[in-house]
Amino acid sequence: MIESANAVPRGTVLAADVCVVGAGAAGIPLALSLSGRGLSVLLLEAGERTRDGKAQAHYEGEVADERLHSPLHRYRLRGLGGSTSLWGGRCMPFDPIDFEARPWVPDSGWPISYEGLLPYYARANTWAEAGRFAYDARTALPGVPPLFAEFDSDIVRTEGLERFSCPTDFGVRYRKRLEVAPDVRVLAGAHCTAIRLEPDGDSVRALDVATLAGNRFQVAARAVVLATGGLETARLLLHSDDVSPRGVGNAHDVVGRYYQCHIAGNVGTLTVFGTTANVRHGYEMAADGVYCRRRITIAAEQQRRHGLLNAVARLHFPKITDPAHRSGVLSGLLLAKGLISYEYGKRLRDTRPLTAQEWLRHVLNVVRDPGDTAAFLAHWLRHRTLAQRKFPSVILRNRSNRFSLEVQGEQQPMAGSRVQLTPSVDALGMRRLRVDWRYGRGDIESIARTLDLVAAELARTGVGRFEYDPATLEQDLMRYGAYGGHHIGTARMGTDPRTSVVDADCKLHGVDNLYVAGSAVFPTSSQANPTLTIVALSLRLADRLARRLQPRRAAAEEVFA
Amino acid sequence: MKVLVLGGRGYIGSNLVAMLRGAGIEATSASPRTKPAPGQLRIDTRDRSALQAALHDVDAVVNCVAGDGAAIAEGARVLADTARATTRCRRLVHLSSMSVYGAVEGCVHERVPPGPLLGWYDKAKRAAEQHVAAFAHGGGQAVVLRPGCVWGAESELWVGRMGRWLRAGRLGDLGIAGDGWSNLVHVDDVCVAALRALELPLGRGEVRTFNLAGPDSPRWNEYFIDLALAIEATPVRRLSPRRLQLDARLAGPALYLLRKGLQRLGRGGRRVPEPITPGLVGLWQRHLRLDPRAATRELRMDWTPYPAALQEAAAWFVEQESLARVSARAAATAG
Repeated sequence: MIESANAVPRGTVLAADVCVVGAGAAGIPLALSLSGRGLSVLLLEAGERTRDGKAQAHYEGEVADERLHSPLHRYRLRGLGGSTSLWGGRCMPFDPIDFEARPWVPDSGWPISYEGLLPYYARANTWAEAGRFAYDARTALPGVPPLFAEFDSDIVRTEGLERFSCPTDFGVRYRKRLEVAPDVRVLAGAHCTAIRLEPDGDSVRALDVATLAGNRFQVAARAVVLATGGLETARLLLHSDDVSPRGVGNAHDVVGRYYQCHIAGNVGTLTVFGTTANVRHGYEMAADGVYCRRRITIAAEQQRRHGLLNAVARLHFPKITDPAHRSGVLSGLLLAKGLISYEYGKRLRDTRPLTAQEWLRHVLNVVRDPGDTAAFLAHWLRHRTLAQRKFPSVILRNRSNRFSLEVQGEQQPMAGSRVQLTPSVDALGMRRLRVDWRYGRGDIESIARTLDLVAAELARTGVGRFEYDPATLEQDLMRYGAYGGHHIGTARMGTDPRTSVVDADCKLHGVDNLYVAGSAVFPTSSQANPTLTIVALSLRLADRLARRLQPRRAAAEEVFA
Repeated sequence: MKVLVLGGRGYIGSNLVAMLRGAGIEATSASPRTKPAPGQLRIDTRDRSALQAALHDVDAVVNCVAGDGAAIAEGARVLADTARATTRCRRLVHLSSMSVYGAVEGCVHERVPPGPLLGWYDKAKRAAEQHVAAFAHGGGQAVVLRPGCVWGAESELWVGRMGRWLRAGRLGDLGIAGDGWSNLVHVDDVCVAALRALELPLGRGEVRTFNLAGPDSPRWNEYFIDLALAIEATPVRRLSPRRLQLDARLAGPALYLLRKGLQRLGRGGRRVPEPITPGLVGLWQRHLRLDPRAATRELRMDWTPYPAALQEAAAWFVEQESLARVSARAAATAG
């Protein structure tokens, strides 16, 4: 059932077996997976509705360098569904190598394995409406030609896929399930403002909850799960400092540190030899109706051999702000960037405004190319605007066999990249966040070596030529700062409390009944977008919680998940 | 034991008669449009005297009668009355339906009070259950089975037309509109449940009710996607709730009338696409989950696994399609 937090009697203490804070990509699958297992679940959501402007204002904070990181109220949303009301839908699992402790990546290694997470990944795919758990083009797209014709390399792999969710807004898609579940109670408009520990600090006594209308109450639960995203989880832990002066779970000053996003940008020029039929640069539709796209990756053993961070590259159109591409569609997009939301328009904005001459050249591109622009708009209208399963992004007709590479890379976890509290508070008295995201030279160098391997293999096989300017690589990758919306590592998982916040069960070291769901627990960032792994870890956590809190209950009695 | 199966020519009834005979039970199949033969009777359930004669020398009746509201409700009333008047037939096994729960949502066991009525079918099914209960209160014994959607090979209702709609792109992944539970139950499981219901120890005047649904039966979307992939109606389409409503509310009545009209003219209304009814659209989005645990426990059910049933259903569908192609070619050659 879904209720308003304002209807809870003021000053009461609500009891539940499990209290989940945050109803987004982590909280909704977690709460629903706990349903039907003999547990009472309370799900707190700060937003009263999707795009709740007043609740959203509580996300605002400071950024150390605005060129490097987006403002904190961007790329995340309050309201049922959380940031899934905004996401792009890209799904892919982390790779087995991401879970390994890699000697060449300090502070790498997960306390859990890829194989252990695999069953949950398969279920996560269903939750995200991303079709079958099939991420290899050879099995998922039988009979479809490869990314590059005649390309055969053990070093550079091109059969890996990413799949696309609708993109599914979990709040819309699973609202009815939350309404129907008799053992899940959702409170909308409930801001968790503090975690109250027992005096000995070993367990959570209660959560303080406030509404913007001024209601106050508490929640006492056998287990508490923070599912508030990579930034808000750190904020809540650090802000709750009455019993543990450095914040909950922060005895070793790890909470908020090791903050990671992804290194991303469009780089270089790729020329594929031969006819345009030699390249499949766009989306394919798998038999299950899901859009899929191939990605260029470096084989795991080569990552080991060359000491690389994980990374992926996709074929992309040329630099959009330079009118030399002569594409009416691209110029049209650039000119219409004011109509595109901040989160998706960001990469259309150059660091400097267009000159009058450039602007004119873009207009000319549109005027010269009316057929292509019209065809693009018609396709976009039919397959994106009006479609339930949306065409994931702009794909241009390949006329020249020239592309850039869209790179997305892992970054080395660094203790100095961190989020902290500031003295200033929001309307509910919670201290605001300050983000100081950093990256290292090694992150850029790893991408350079990755691109060199790609270039060498394309040349060796005679498939094409890839050129980029190493001198401007860092600038290309940092033009728009950290990739938006991927907030990773602020309550990382590990076995050693001196370098991690939660254990392999996602439970805080030293706090008996406090758990974290979401990307905050990722020790490393992989090449992959985080959502699918967030959902998979949440489903895994649901199983662990059910086993711990209701061990007598048979699994066969699950009826709602 | 001698058993009369009413509605013995239907999907469940015909499978049941075969299973009972295989289990050494003397089963007579009765239906209103059948040629009388050994083991086969022509009976309309509302025909009191025909029923009386048939009930005379059986120990139990399984009521699988389908049809319109009157056939279901009135048929059950006449059956209950007639059975009460006989001395030999003491047991009724009645095939009801999950639709008696009406608009209730959530996980429902047999004691959950029914919700508001959704249409004539649930009304008739509820009335029929009451007549069966009245028979038991009069000193008989009755078992009421409430199956979800009964499927398997040869299921026109839940495999045949679903497959054709998938093939035509009128069905697919429906998102929220297909998030309801399918409650699919294999026809063999329903027959086993009926057989065990005949043998269930009951006291005089006792009525037992059991939900029948595969414990691993998925939500509708999952079934549609799985079936589409299995019969290769791909890529699976994602349909908007709006489109589905248009199909059901606008195209539906037109297709229905066209089919009826052509059938009346003897022009093969079968070639007209089948209408998707608003009732089905409602079913696909209803979050009603039948709790089958009572049947698992007391009827000792060993449910057919969903993946096995799916494979069998899809194989039958594909075979039907190729048979239809062959006969269409033959007709064309002959013509």
